[in-house]
Amino acid sequence: MTRRIAMALSLVGLIALVSAPAALAQAPKRGGVLRIADREAPNLDPHLSVSFLTHSWANMVYSQLVRYPHGPEQKHPADFSIVPDLAEKWEHQSPTVLVFTLRKGVKFHNKPPVNGREVTAEDAKYSIERFMARSAFRARFEVVQSIDVLDRYTLRVTLKEPFAPFLNHLAASAYLAILPREVEEKFKDFNRPEAMIGSGPFMVKSYQKGVQIAFERNPDYYVKGLPYLDGVVIEITPDSAARLSLLRAGKVDMGHMWGYMVPEEARSVKKTNPEMVMTPVMTVASGILYFRTDQPPFNDVRVRRAVSLAIDRKSWNDSLHYGEGCVDAGPVPCALKEWKLEASKLEPAKAKYLVGYDPAEARKLLAEAGFPKGLTVPMYHWPGYAPPWRTYYDLAADNLAKIGVTVEFKPEEYGKYISTTYLGKFEKMAMGPQAPGNEIDDWLYSGFFPEQPHNRSHVGDAELNKLLAAQRRELDPAKRLAIVHDIQRHLADKAYYVYLPTSPQYITHAPQVRGFKHHDGFSLGHRLMFTWLAR
Amino acid sequence: MKQYVLRRVALAVPTLVLVSVIVFSMMRLMPGDVVIRMVEGHAYAPTIDALRKELGLDRPAYLQYVEWVGGIVLRGDFGESYWTRQPILDEFVGRFPVTLELATLTILVSVVIGIAVGIVSAVRQDTVADYVGRVLAILALSVPYFGLAVLVVVLPSIYFRWTPVWTYVPFTTDPLANLKIMIVPALVFGVTRAGPIMRIMRSALLEVLRQDYIRTAWSKGLTERAIVLRHALKNAMVPVVSLIGLQMPLYIGGSVIIEAIFRLPGVGLFFFEALTRLDYPVVQSVNLIVATMVVALNLLIDLSYAFLDPRIRYR
Repeated sequence: MTRRIAMALSLVGLIALVSAPAALAQAPKRGGVLRIADREAPNLDPHLSVSFLTHSWANMVYSQLVRYPHGPEQKHPADFSIVPDLAEKWEHQSPTVLVFTLRKGVKFHNKPPVNGREVTAEDAKYSIERFMARSAFRARFEVVQSIDVLDRYTLRVTLKEPFAPFLNHLAASAYLAILPREVEEKFKDFNRPEAMIGSGPFMVKSYQKGVQIAFERNPDYYVKGLPYLDGVVIEITPDSAARLSLLRAGKVDMGHMWGYMVPEEARSVKKTNPEMVMTPVMTVASGILYFRTDQPPFNDVRVRRAVSLAIDRKSWNDSLHYGEGCVDAGPVPCALKEWKLEASKLEPAKAKYLVGYDPAEARKLLAEAGFPKGLTVPMYHWPGYAPPWRTYYDLAADNLAKIGVTVEFKPEEYGKYISTTYLGKFEKMAMGPQAPGNEIDDWLYSGFFPEQPHNRSHVGDAELNKLLAAQRRELDPAKRLAIVHDIQRHLADKAYYVYLPTSPQYITHAPQVRGFKHHDGFSLGHRLMFTWLAR
Repeated sequence: MKQYVLRRVALAVPTLVLVSVIVFSMMRLMPGDVVIRMVEGHAYAPTIDALRKELGLDRPAYLQYVEWVGGIVLRGDFGESYWTRQPILDEFVGRFPVTLELATLTILVSVVIGIAVGIVSAVRQDTVADYVGRVLAILALSVPYFGLAVLVVVLPSIYFRWTPVWTYVPFTTDPLANLKIMIVPALVFGVTRAGPIMRIMRSALLEVLRQDYIRTAWSKGLTERAIVLRHALKNAMVPVVSLIGLQMPLYIGGSVIIEAIFRLPGVGLFFFEALTRLDYPVVQSVNLIVATMVVALNLLIDLSYAFLDPRIRYR
């Protein structure tokens, strides 16, 4: 008996011994410099640029009032709940008055002219006002009526009307970096490396234009013990083939600052570098066919429904996305799980116009709409989107040909596409990806409300407009969700946009990179403050 | 001679004015709108109007032109990039050494290979060496340098987990590290540019070798080495030098892709990024600066003919 116990105990001991290194390996380790290959930010001032590159770099350096959860805090990559950043708490004093209480003792980086002084409510007021005056995103904060500093650590924001997306906009790293005023007084703007002074997890160490930017750990960061890394170096690499070869050769830990890699590329890298860690995630983005619904022939719902029924989403997903993509891709993108009402939960008779495939019915609908012999339509697009977009255009044209719709390709140069077609200035039909933002309002209000730049299909639907406006004003999350579900029920059979299957991205990095969790948006610094290196 | 130089300099002025007008108008004729490009999908009317005003794009085009040219002529101010908001001249000056070094090394590689192979090909006409040389020249001509560059970067990373791409180090900081980074792009670019030089060298040398004074040299009993290198080569160089002069803009143009692939922070990349972003002032000013340099360089090349062939006179 005793022998058995002794054996059992030694077995337990052995197991413990074997598993100990694994357990140890999971404990985050301080130190090391993470190397990333990616493109260069066109400008360093977070309020004066809309570039995702600028905002990703800025997020390394600056804090915000509130932020999204990251690393161990997040439930999934599209978890857009709000957690404290500079503001440790906030409350709605009324539907239009929000009061933020700032953390005490948070310091800006210890660099001149700020020299590590404390962040106060004045800085938050200055930053919101500067953003509202100068940013190209200023429309996001048009709802703000006034900002008042109640005391050193208390800020009151008064809105013109209740606005549910407000906290989410404050948390998005594209928008409200909190900046120290004296830097602008000294340097005129924040567009130079020595002016990048914030209170975020990292500080700018050096910047050689066109070569590399190096960030170092902020030793005074208000979250004790974070970040784990001593530094991050972004090797500026404009060419995608060069980025990939740097990753393959082990000269960098990540070939893209968010780790993005399309499924096909990921498979090829896995063959040459089986050690690479790859995690497929659905990002908050989708591909669409969009129409001039204010003009013939697409003002006729039957024509739009026919186009939607012509898309063979399952084969599309199987052949181009290895069956890993998402076919129920709109109007709410697959990744925004909390807001999405799946097609399976909609009335089947309506849902078929969202996700169904029925070429016979499509031809019937076209005949009823006056096109028994089919029709020819242009497809405006930018061919340069990352692979496999070129194949998407061909596949859509091929699917449409089967119901008698002949597609005339109208490829456009990027500058033309982004300033015309992308903003709804085109004839009849266009196709491309969209990623307007991570707040549900970006997808619904911006995509369907009249006169919005992202309302590319020129939707003007009175009943829908009421719902769109209502969800913006509803501050109770449960009630807002109910309205968002109503919107999805209303849109199910309208086919204002035709949604195409969405591909996952493979978040790829070298095996020594640990704790890097993808989160949608531009929050590079928040992602990297929980990242550590096992080497 | 002095008069010739003065006349050429005077002639350069209308050329540069024409370049400035063409570049200025072409940028504005390009499809797309820089302001909307800058704000991407967030093109709300008030934002666009404010930005247009801030950049001075709300004024008539001729005023914008006058202001741009006036800034250059009166104050030496080449303007600011719409995107980076940094002075163009500063950025150009910072980046020019990289492109200059790349171009110099590329010319060196292409000239050494092109002239050496060209001489062997001409002197040993219709032998195996000539055929091999000519096949190599055609091969170099037909392989696009950007294709070769991608292969050189990608293939070793797949098969050997190695890549020639790494962080640029200025020559002045560490000459050895700098050359280690520059040599592969210069070889890739230089080899593909050696083809035309080799072909011109061969035909020019063949022509010179058939001239009377070469026959005289032979009859004097000089060695082949002395005849080819001392008597024939210098005269045969005139068309080769012209070709190198003509290829000069190509070295700048070609540097765009080489710089992007090999991560070299040069002028080519600066120009290319500005072009894709419709950054009017950058494209205009860089074009004008490069055009001025090409004009000056061509003048120097024209003047070098007198050294190469003393029969040439400037009037």
